[in-house]
Amino acid sequence: MNTKKAVLAVAGTGVLAGVVGLGVLAIPAGADEPPPVLPQISADQLVDSVANAKIPALAGKVSASENLGLPIKLLDGIGSASVWSDGQNRFRATLPGKSSEKTFVEDGGTLWTWDSQKNTVTKFAHGDKAVEPGKLAGKDPATIGKEALTWVRQYSDVKVDGTARVAKRPAYELVVTPKPTERTLLREIRVAVDSETRLPLRLQVLANGQSDPALKLEFTELNVGPQDAKLFQFTPPQGATVKEATKGDHQPKDPAEARKGFQDMISGLNLKTVGDGWDTTLVAKLPGDLNSLAGKAQEHANGQGGFGGGRGKDFDVTSLLKSFGKEVSGPWGTGYVFSTKVATALVTTDGRVAVGAVPEQVLTEAIGQVK
Amino acid sequence: MTFAEAEAGVGTASAVPTPVLAARTRGLRKLYRNTVAVDHVDLDVPEGAVLGMLGPNGSGKTTTIRMMLGLTTPTAGEVELFGARLPEAAQAVLPQVGALVEGPGFHPFLSGRENLLRCAAAEPLLRSSAIAKAVDEALERVGLSGAASRRYRGYSLGMKQRMGLAAALLVPRRFVVLDEPTNGLDPAGTREVRTVIADLHAAGTTVLVSSHLLSEVEATCTHVAVLHQGTVVAQGELRDMLEASNAGLLVSTPEITAAVDALRDNRIPARPMPDGLLVDLTSTTAPEVVATLVRADIPVHEVHKQRTGLEDLFAQLTETS
Amino acid sequence: MTAQVMPGPVRAPIGRLLRSELRWIYRRPRTLILLGLLALYPILFGIGTQLVDAPVRANGDQSIVAAVAGNALMLPVIVLSTTMIFFLPLGTTMTASDALAGEASHGTLRGLLLAPVSRVRLLAIKAFGVAVVSAAAALMTSLIAFVTGLVIAGPGSLVSISGTTLPVGEGLWRVLLATGWVIVQMWAVGAIALAVSASTEHPLLVLASVIGGLFVFGLLSTIPVLDWMHPFLITESWDSIVDVLRDPILSENLVTGLLRAVCYIVIGYSLALARMITKDS
Repeated sequence: MNTKKAVLAVAGTGVLAGVVGLGVLAIPAGADEPPPVLPQISADQLVDSVANAKIPALAGKVSASENLGLPIKLLDGIGSASVWSDGQNRFRATLPGKSSEKTFVEDGGTLWTWDSQKNTVTKFAHGDKAVEPGKLAGKDPATIGKEALTWVRQYSDVKVDGTARVAKRPAYELVVTPKPTERTLLREIRVAVDSETRLPLRLQVLANGQSDPALKLEFTELNVGPQDAKLFQFTPPQGATVKEATKGDHQPKDPAEARKGFQDMISGLNLKTVGDGWDTTLVAKLPGDLNSLAGKAQEHANGQGGFGGGRGKDFDVTSLLKSFGKEVSGPWGTGYVFSTKVATALVTTDGRVAVGAVPEQVLTEAIGQVK
Repeated sequence: MTFAEAEAGVGTASAVPTPVLAARTRGLRKLYRNTVAVDHVDLDVPEGAVLGMLGPNGSGKTTTIRMMLGLTTPTAGEVELFGARLPEAAQAVLPQVGALVEGPGFHPFLSGRENLLRCAAAEPLLRSSAIAKAVDEALERVGLSGAASRRYRGYSLGMKQRMGLAAALLVPRRFVVLDEPTNGLDPAGTREVRTVIADLHAAGTTVLVSSHLLSEVEATCTHVAVLHQGTVVAQGELRDMLEASNAGLLVSTPEITAAVDALRDNRIPARPMPDGLLVDLTSTTAPEVVATLVRADIPVHEVHKQRTGLEDLFAQLTETS
Repeated sequence: MTAQVMPGPVRAPIGRLLRSELRWIYRRPRTLILLGLLALYPILFGIGTQLVDAPVRANGDQSIVAAVAGNALMLPVIVLSTTMIFFLPLGTTMTASDALAGEASHGTLRGLLLAPVSRVRLLAIKAFGVAVVSAAAALMTSLIAFVTGLVIAGPGSLVSISGTTLPVGEGLWRVLLATGWVIVQMWAVGAIALAVSASTEHPLLVLASVIGGLFVFGLLSTIPVLDWMHPFLITESWDSIVDVLRDPILSENLVTGLLRAVCYIVIGYSLALARMITKDS
């Protein structure tokens, strides 16, 4: 009868249990689950069902992560967003900050935006038939899906590659792989589709020579089921600033007019594409060379008297480009190349720009076509 | 201990009339980082005795007491209180033990009464309804009733010591352990402590009192244990210890020279003294000496054993070891 | 001859011991001073934010201070989140340091052990005392803050950071939830502090090591290279108290924080128990 030893044994077990507990908390849960077994399905069937899927009532968390190889992480500091849907085109999304939150509520007639940091509500009353994802450009979604698939298949192989578990839900993995003739940095794009609701649960963009996805957008949690109706209502709180946004602020009255405005802007930039499929490169001619542009930027900044005002004086474009990019030259001129895992950009000293999900060489070929 | 075992214990005790021990240690040993504080301590405290634990500072008195009360875990050896092993039986035995160890310990921001109320709340043998009365009685007993509402912070050294005594005596005890109880007390306070010990003894309570002062042990104790450098160098009844320490017999006679000669003829060592002679009793006994003198026709007026102070013994024991 | 019959183990009633422990804690001047400061803090915080409210709000962008000023839901939670990083751990650690190290230094611990109160029981009593003090302090602070907020900004000002206005009952429930969560975090601090307290006779050492430790944890959690270590730090989830202000409540980090605190409580009391049972007093 040694009570002391018994108590010490209990204490030892306690310490061990506590440390193991902390360890378990430190490891993200559900790392190694076997992929679920699901009935076979063809890529066409899958795409078709996704296009026809209706967003059900759900609550979930969405997180985005990137591994682009940039010096700074673009998505760092953005927590996972929470999303809700009532299945009848009413939505709610929240983007939590450290001690703040942005909330978006679509109540069927009004889109509310709330920023706790600014204590501001933006109210956009759009009437009953504002957001109707069911119809775009007069076509039903299934047709759009088919057309898109046909287009994609010109340049890629599309297939269902096994199954996966996303947010604890069984899903099909739809994989789009560039055809071998395509000269792109991308290896494949994977979309996990929920086996039950046919909602895309995860989007991954994988680059060549990289095992982790360069871009990942996924549901980390998803519960399908009826949601509290209160979530899809919003009443501006006492003391908040309420801004009314009219339709005009958000979209032009006439779509054709809008399109024209956009086209004007693009033509001003001499924007055009070179190549097709995965090799598509966007090229443009900026109005003026780099140094004159920098001057304009500086004027602009000074004029605004805003954030960049003080810095504008010492603003040296060339040194900035040098520090981020790589200096290159060829028969097309000289410029700087910026590379990430999924895309490359080329800026020439005389103000030409080329961007694409392609290696540097494809860009230098394309830039020669810009006058 | 179960009831059956307890009964069996009573049976053996009545069959073999060994003295009941309030406390018993065997082979007690305590090491502090390779330093031996206490070693081979076999101590017996008979029930009803007042045992004085005597030893210079640093002789291991406090460490021994702490081990006897379960405050410190012995490196080796065992402790029994009223025949029950510690630390297993602590919950059954310790409620009947009152102790003042290493000086009084109380909270400075509480009054004397509040401090004692807190001690009393932890006493298993006190019913909740009896607490207030027990505290008042304890304060009365040590003469602190008048200062009971004052903060302990303002107490004098003597008052603090008396508070410690009061805490030890909150409940009627079977065994009271007092570690240096007269530390910091003036002569009047020392006398009061002696009275308290005498009262406890009269009531049948076993008392263990440690001290580095011989006079105190001599004045209050029935038994003595002498500690030196962590070991018990002598222990026993005070009376026996006094006898054992002196092997001399004082004989009063007018014929000193004749008496010395007569004894020397019988190979009994003796030496002349002012009123008679002192006989060494190491190799003989008192009746033998008297018989030898009578046979030699030497008039013997008076014979008594020589008494020396315990001081001699203490000095003797501690010097030789 | 006196009979050797030994009574069975006897114990003082636990209720009496717990009451006695609380009376002792609440009679201590420094406990009272700290509680006084904690009671005053939310009122001063409420009034203070009200005073600086105007200039800050004129600036356009709302700081957290300005957000608190007109919000009876935010005030108690922000008051809790600021007290939980210093005042509440201080009070908890102070109580824990007095509970064992302090009693040992006054020589009163051996009195309790001699009574006897068994060591396991004594630790339980001390744990109870620390738990009650930290819980009462947190509850008092948040309730005073809640009432202060209602008085200053009115019952219509219970606005979550998701922009919803909550009824008073729901608001109170959120505040109590936040308080409960903070209390468990403080219990974790108390458990560790008691473990240290059981290992020393110097109460100040307990205070210095635990408060210093929390400070170091706070520093470590800002060093990105040590991110593998972050989930092991008790302070790691203390920012997520803000999540009770979201509507609906974002529970993920709160739950993780709660479980982490429970792990610390288990570790702390296991260590304290081991030390308690082996220590010489």
